Amino acid sequence: MDRVLNNFIVSLRGAGVPVSVSESIDAARGLAISGYGERRIVKSTLAATLAKSAAEKEIFDDCFERFFSFQSLPSPFADGPENGNEEQPKDMPPIGGMIMEGDLGGVALAVRDAARSVDLQSIRFFTQRGIFTSRILQALQLDQLDRFVGDLYREGGAGASAAARQLEQGRDALIDMVRRFVEEQYEIFARESTERVIERYLWDVRLTELEERHYDRMHFLIRKLVKRMNERYSRRRRRAKRGALDFKQTLRANMHHGGLLFETRWKKKRMNRPDVVILCDVSRSMSTVVRFCLLMLYGLNEVVARVRSFVFCSSLLEVSHVFETSPIAEAVERLRTGEGLDIHMGRTDYGSAFWDFTNRHLEAVTGKTTVIILGDARSNYGDPADELLKKIAERCRRLIWLNPETPPMWGTGDSEMKRYMRLCDVVMECSTLRHLEQLVRVLVRIP
Amino acid sequence: MKDQTGKFETVDKVNEGLKSTGYICSTDIATTVYLAFHLEKPVLVEGPAGVGKTELAKKAALFMDVPLIRLQCYEGLDESKALYEWKYGKQLLYSQLLRDKLDQVIDKESDLGESIRTLHRYEDIFFSPQFLEPRPLLKALQEKRGAVLLIDEVDKADEEFEAFLLEILSDFQVSIPEIGTVKARTKPYVFLTSNSTRELSEALKRRCLHLFIPFPAPDLEREIVRHHVPHIPDLLERQLVMFIHEVRKLELKKVPSISETIDWARALILLHAEGLDRDLTRKTLNTFLKFEEDIRAVDEKLFLLVDKALKETA
Repeated sequence: MDRVLNNFIVSLRGAGVPVSVSESIDAARGLAISGYGERRIVKSTLAATLAKSAAEKEIFDDCFERFFSFQSLPSPFADGPENGNEEQPKDMPPIGGMIMEGDLGGVALAVRDAARSVDLQSIRFFTQRGIFTSRILQALQLDQLDRFVGDLYREGGAGASAAARQLEQGRDALIDMVRRFVEEQYEIFARESTERVIERYLWDVRLTELEERHYDRMHFLIRKLVKRMNERYSRRRRRAKRGALDFKQTLRANMHHGGLLFETRWKKKRMNRPDVVILCDVSRSMSTVVRFCLLMLYGLNEVVARVRSFVFCSSLLEVSHVFETSPIAEAVERLRTGEGLDIHMGRTDYGSAFWDFTNRHLEAVTGKTTVIILGDARSNYGDPADELLKKIAERCRRLIWLNPETPPMWGTGDSEMKRYMRLCDVVMECSTLRHLEQLVRVLVRIP
Repeated sequence: MKDQTGKFETVDKVNEGLKSTGYICSTDIATTVYLAFHLEKPVLVEGPAGVGKTELAKKAALFMDVPLIRLQCYEGLDESKALYEWKYGKQLLYSQLLRDKLDQVIDKESDLGESIRTLHRYEDIFFSPQFLEPRPLLKALQEKRGAVLLIDEVDKADEEFEAFLLEILSDFQVSIPEIGTVKARTKPYVFLTSNSTRELSEALKRRCLHLFIPFPAPDLEREIVRHHVPHIPDLLERQLVMFIHEVRKLELKKVPSISETIDWARALILLHAEGLDRDLTRKTLNTFLKFEEDIRAVDEKLFLLVDKALKETA
């Protein structure tokens, strides 16, 4: 059973449940106590010791049902021994004997043994399926079986060729079976590595080129990123809170000890989480970048104090309320569809967007605000209105410009990037998840 | 803790035992309680609000016949509130009262160094167990017959506190600098509950068995209702549970919990209802829905929901 449990744990890990060594020991001990008698108790035992969150429980359920299904071996072999040969010829490999006898259980076991001997668990990519199939067949001594069949045919005679035909049929069925088995095991063991390859790819893919089928994974990655960032920077902030001794408060807190100082009170440093105002260009070329950037920004409640968001294309509009009323994922979706939002989607015009902002919303920017502008600065040869941007830049604490284009493209054609760049404190390329991560680093480093 | 009475012999016995205290549970719950007892591991219980996470710990204490010690977590909870505190007042009072005695002890010595050396011989007096105020965690370790320790809503506490819990949960001992290491007399049986307002650390999860309690399946919930409201008519009970299950599928601010199902059942009994109907349901919606928006949302679909509940139990 230990081996089975081990394999099960490997498959769980493969499916994305991180099982530690101590947890697998717990599982083994738990099983030893609760016994293998009842399937539902075995399942509860493993669930309690191995899967440690609601999401993991779901994966666990799926894995458990698949792993302990035992349906993979239908009977392809001829039923029962017909010729009743008690004495097996010496040069026939053991698998041949099992085929002749129609010993399905024996064949299944032999396949599993062979799979273990060639270390099928290490299968990672679907291109490896062929090589593993042939290795298993080799371990089952298929070549020897072939030679034996050839010999039987050469020998001739009714009995011998009937046996040869039966063996040949069995052989084909066996190959089929091994192929299916490898397929199944690949499903069980290789999921994780495929995931990992995709994940690595997603970190560096340009968000504008991201396919829609990867959105869910991307959301997941961003959640992970957000969680990591929140954890890292909340700790830092807490440390910053421990300041000098607050003598007045300490005295007051210790009055009831007769003025003897037992409890200490510390001066609290003000936390410096930035207020963020973000202006997003939501023209079509930008929409995916905007989506993921906002998704991240609104998750960062430990890093960022408050976010006000504006979107613009031909005109500018505040959309903070969308994020206040609906969950983040839904809100970004609403922005994409533009549902219920009064925004004019014509040619992108940075000049008029800045004009709208400085005239209507400039009060949003104070000396504590970090203003982020997310856009490609392609203004369709309209008035760049950089004097308005200058006004914003002077009023805010920091002005960060995120441009999804690569730097060599800045300033080419109708891009006003070169002109705007001079006014910004930080200018960053922002086209992949990795860039978004860098943005967090910049955000917390308040001058 | 030793299983002297054979209460923990099999999973089914645990299930029966919990039932006899009034806690009706699934195999998952019984198995986890059973395992935690034998493996001497804490149980981390997660699940939506109102499925009986805290209740499980209370009933487990009743079942095992040991005291329940509860530690409610909140932001800013620290060692002095959770583990122990020195009785400062008492220390102060004693040192005042004993001033004369102290004078006498020191008086004989003229030399300052000598007096300090003398005092050193007595210094541990004020930091001895008599001046120690045990808080829930220490209390749980000191119980002779063992205890059920309930650490409620651990997700509300800070991460630092979580790290601090690790020592207790893995070794069942704590170190108090002035006294030394305190070991559990009998290992307590620990439940931690969490509403997942934030994710707990991997280290904590690794040390615990994990139990996720979802809303119960209709059959189980019916059994629970029958247990708590014994005189309920069979038809009403079936319709009511079915209705609640339909309501839980809606997107509400707060879906009705088990205790609210029971409240509603009691209310309907008081109104002498034999079965569900639309009017009665509308009038009693506020027993299991606690937000104005939720009531409005359910009211809109009331016709459909009641109809469905009636049809499925017909």
